[in-house]
Amino acid sequence: MNCKERVCAALAHQEPDRVPIDFGGTAVTGIHASAVAALREWYGLAKRPVKVHEPYQMLGMVEDDLKEAMGIDVTGIYSRKTMFGFPNQDWKMWRMPDGLEVLVPGGFVTTTGANGDILIHPEGDVSAPPSGRMPRDGYFFDAIVRQPPIEDEQLKVEDNLEEFTAIAEEDLEHLRREAAAAGSGRAAIASFGGTAFGDIALVPAPFLKHPKGIRDVAEWYVSTATRREFIHRIFDRQSEVALANLERIHAAVGDAVDVMFVCGTDFGTQASAFCSVKTFRDLYFPYYKRINDWVHRHTKWRTFKHSCGSVERFIPSFIEAGFDVLNPVQCSAAGMEPRQLKERFGNCLTFWGGGVDTQKTLPFGSPEEVRREVLERCGIFSRGGGFVFNTIHNVQARTPLRNIIAMVEAVHEFNRAGGAETRHS
Amino acid sequence: MSDLQKLYDAILDGDAKTAAAVTKEALAEDADPMGLVTRYMVPAMDEVGRRFECEEYFVPELLISARAMKGALELIRPLLAARGEQPVGRVAIGTVKGDLHDIGKNLVASMLEGGGFEVMDLGADVAPDKFVAAVEERGANIVCLSALLTVTMPAMKTTIDALESAGVRGKVKVLVGGAPVTPQYASEIGADGYGENAISAVALARQMVAQSAQA
Repeated sequence: MNCKERVCAALAHQEPDRVPIDFGGTAVTGIHASAVAALREWYGLAKRPVKVHEPYQMLGMVEDDLKEAMGIDVTGIYSRKTMFGFPNQDWKMWRMPDGLEVLVPGGFVTTTGANGDILIHPEGDVSAPPSGRMPRDGYFFDAIVRQPPIEDEQLKVEDNLEEFTAIAEEDLEHLRREAAAAGSGRAAIASFGGTAFGDIALVPAPFLKHPKGIRDVAEWYVSTATRREFIHRIFDRQSEVALANLERIHAAVGDAVDVMFVCGTDFGTQASAFCSVKTFRDLYFPYYKRINDWVHRHTKWRTFKHSCGSVERFIPSFIEAGFDVLNPVQCSAAGMEPRQLKERFGNCLTFWGGGVDTQKTLPFGSPEEVRREVLERCGIFSRGGGFVFNTIHNVQARTPLRNIIAMVEAVHEFNRAGGAETRHS
Repeated sequence: MSDLQKLYDAILDGDAKTAAAVTKEALAEDADPMGLVTRYMVPAMDEVGRRFECEEYFVPELLISARAMKGALELIRPLLAARGEQPVGRVAIGTVKGDLHDIGKNLVASMLEGGGFEVMDLGADVAPDKFVAAVEERGANIVCLSALLTVTMPAMKTTIDALESAGVRGKVKVLVGGAPVTPQYASEIGADGYGENAISAVALARQMVAQSAQA
């Protein structure tokens, strides 16, 4: 089996020859630039600065040589522009606060805040107020909320739709090129954008110069209860635009894409949920179903839903809405016990993640603890296919390299030990 | 005489306009401001907390009720100060240095305020010396530390160490919380308690105040 066949078998709930691995395929299955640099050095790869292709979380590009070294089966297709609205091109050197030199896109333009914080500007335009902030000794950006005063009578749905427009020809061309380059060697997961309904990371619109509408995080959460009809109208229009775009995107990329990242809206918290199942079914379900139904009717793509936290209560609705893949499978959250999840939902859903805890084991455990957790998770989730190995969300900055290596080695150890054959005995 | 049950209901339903209107009316009729807080507002927020715990309410409802509570409290606070009324406790709260995430911290701050505490919100990315100053200069007797990132969790320990070095650790109880934080981590770094969510943080803060009173 090649990488693509391996992932596709897993997605079809057939046991592949070995557990497939993703790192770097999406903005929620990636690796912090500092960890990518450490991995490149460990594997003795060509010495060159890491490209930060996702500047919001400072994710490093996992290039083909590193994919090869780590045994990664997936490649990511990203939209042309980053979270801060500039394209991933014209790379230039930038020194991270910890001293590491990385490459960032030309549009990555920062200024310094009064307290030494690093401020980043949308579309690299310093005449626009900054839309992201990294503490002066930090590792990630966080969105700066730019909320104009809200007068309920003045609120317009269009103001929250500025980012949801017909895809530009050059963006389409970019996707066409990326999909063609993905080739047939590795499975391709694509993040086209435009189908995230109420993703709280996107609500402040760090990519827009002067966002209007509801852009404050707390105000958005409040609005899901107090202005529900307004949010419905946003989602309804957003899904119409998305479907029109998907039609054109599909015509451009065809079946070179295996999986489509649909939405990263988090419904779970560590111990509970952000809303009831009733609210989910009223406010989100119809739009997810509309997108998933279209994808399944017109393409061979599988659809991917990311939601952190305790989401066990939502999983039956995710499945009914047509999602094929769940990520990051946060096993440490309430009700997310791996065996139960696999037993109850493993026939319908591919678990893409769940491989090791990034809140505790990977950053703070010993290599042996990492190894044990990875072997256990692979044993549970890989049975009958329906599993792509990834950490529970991105590998964070300052994660000990020895633990990352222990994790990768453990997946290979599991696979060497006979994979499915051994697992069943 | 205004129907004060309406104040309770307005906070429970997150109706900020009614909560403020009833409070104004009651104050105009010389209602005891402390009585409004202890008999109607705090019980309403306690009920909000109960509903959150049993998952009738979620984050949006919590935010809406907290806003209603805050609006009413702003009308009452000057009168409480003028009468020299003492809060249940004085809390200095902030997201630790290097961490900008403040949604959870803001929720905890609102719920503590709703629980009758005086809350000094130090914001996000707060250096340890600012917590120390809040204890030394502003009399905080509870310090609440929040972190969302695994890379900033160690700043909780640094902050506790700073309180220790400044010689004020014995004067305060330190509570910690945030997605990656666990009770075990809280105990490892020498915190006095761990709050799983905004509601348990209030219960814990009350417990700490009661313990201090007994000591």
